[in-house]
Amino acid sequence: MKIPKHILPFAFIGPAMLFLAAMLLWPLAQAIILSLQSVRSVGTTGDWVGLSNYREVLIDPVFWGSAWLSLIWVLANAVLQTLLALVAALALNQSFPGVRIARTWIVLTWIVPTVVVVMIWRWLFSTSGGIVNPLLMLSGVTDAPVGFFANPTIAFATLVFINSWRWFPFITLMMLAGLTRIPRDLYEAASIDGAGPWKRFSRITWPLLAPTLGVLLVIGTLLSFNVFDIIWLLTAGGPADSTRTLPVLIYETAFKSYRMSEAAAVAVLATVFLMGFALLATRWLARPPEAR
Amino acid sequence: MKRTLRWNLALLAVLVSLATLILLPFWFVLTGSIKEPAEIIGREPTMFPQSFTLQHYAKLISASDYPVYMMNSMIVATASTVITLLLAIPAGYAFFRMSFAGRETLYRAILLAYAFPSIVILIPLFGIFAKLGLLDSRLALVLVNVAFALPFAIWMLRSFFASIPIEIEEAARLDGGAPLTVLRRIMIPLVAPGIAAVAVFTFITSWTEYVFASVMILSDAKRPMPVGFSGIIGQYQIDWGLLLAGASLSLLPVVILFAFVGRWFVAGLTEGAVK
Repeated sequence: MKIPKHILPFAFIGPAMLFLAAMLLWPLAQAIILSLQSVRSVGTTGDWVGLSNYREVLIDPVFWGSAWLSLIWVLANAVLQTLLALVAALALNQSFPGVRIARTWIVLTWIVPTVVVVMIWRWLFSTSGGIVNPLLMLSGVTDAPVGFFANPTIAFATLVFINSWRWFPFITLMMLAGLTRIPRDLYEAASIDGAGPWKRFSRITWPLLAPTLGVLLVIGTLLSFNVFDIIWLLTAGGPADSTRTLPVLIYETAFKSYRMSEAAAVAVLATVFLMGFALLATRWLARPPEAR
Repeated sequence: MKRTLRWNLALLAVLVSLATLILLPFWFVLTGSIKEPAEIIGREPTMFPQSFTLQHYAKLISASDYPVYMMNSMIVATASTVITLLLAIPAGYAFFRMSFAGRETLYRAILLAYAFPSIVILIPLFGIFAKLGLLDSRLALVLVNVAFALPFAIWMLRSFFASIPIEIEEAARLDGGAPLTVLRRIMIPLVAPGIAAVAVFTFITSWTEYVFASVMILSDAKRPMPVGFSGIIGQYQIDWGLLLAGASLSLLPVVILFAFVGRWFVAGLTEGAVK
């Protein structure tokens, strides 16, 4: 059988597109429908209630508290991940014995299941036994074990650290892509002209790497927003709701308090925010450098 | 370029800190898994094990369903990888080697799918799968894993397809190769490293997926490792030795996989990415 030429590309992308439509777009449409009804648990039906779920959510301080936490979560992670990744990428962009092995195995933290990441850090940060607390106490920093998951501020910071620990190597590799694209001769020429390491970094590396950094900040933001399992398994949103970001709130509302429709409304709002951010960010990044 | 001694020391300091940050936690886990219980919870953590025992591994394998969980995860991750490749390779070929109306728009839409908050579809998908009778099946997990890996997989193939000179393809076409034959005989061998990269990416994301599996799988016998393992964490009184052994074993398959094809995965991320 001969497929006409202009249909051919669609025959190739068709299966993938149909699959994504069925698995992402169709459920999204269902989520929107669900958010306009009053369904409490899966399988039951509800009445059409229009926008009242949205109205309820938007006047609920719990939602705004959670949205605020998500914002701080995303910012803190994006900054920490990108900084760690920048340092790591600059180091791995040098030549030294074993650089290839280092470039491959730096992603070790990312190939480990989150459940295991959670277990590892729960143990390292444990208040009975563990590693970090005994070390802190031996070195005389504290007298009593620090409750890394017990105090709201410390718990939030600890989670940011653990999540960034897991993701920064992934960002590092993508940043290396931007770094390896900077022509070596630029550095050679600058050294001959007597530029020191700092000058070479600030005049060559930084300006040429800036667009890559922009893309990676966006990717980091999207990745961090969606993080659910690490938070859920370590603190379940606590203590005192200090780590209840939007994904945690959605999960809790749907599967713990059985208010599916309200959870769907929160989820749709989150999607609108996130997609809006992604669209704006990609448009901003697509502009020529001079216009920025 | 010549580097001064000070510069080299600074580089060494950064590399040592990085290695510590990444490897030390794993070191404590691996060595912890072979320490006697008393040493694990001792007041002074030991850098090198003072005792040796395999009791935690023995207990893990005999007293829990851990081997079943591992098997389930292998099946789900392998199936997800195969299906993702079957969908992503033709799509990548069309996106990056052919021109057609709406290509840019569709490609953007795919990238946007990557920005999709996964938790949003958890609720409706649960309902849809319930209706289709897919709840509590490994197939449900495979479908979910493919959906989340596919956009990134297509994106990753970009540079690999782009690096092939157009002349090779034209020559094959002039020799009368049908498009599917050209893809199979010429393109796939040439983008093999890209395919390896996508395969590693998909296998790992499927291997580590927790949220959907925890909601969609109800019976113990079908649980993949992450869900089963988190069950073990909750079900016993915290037995750190057992958990450390479980964590160590769960690293094995991905570390072995990565030892063989990790290089290609890294190439896929560093060369294709950020465009």
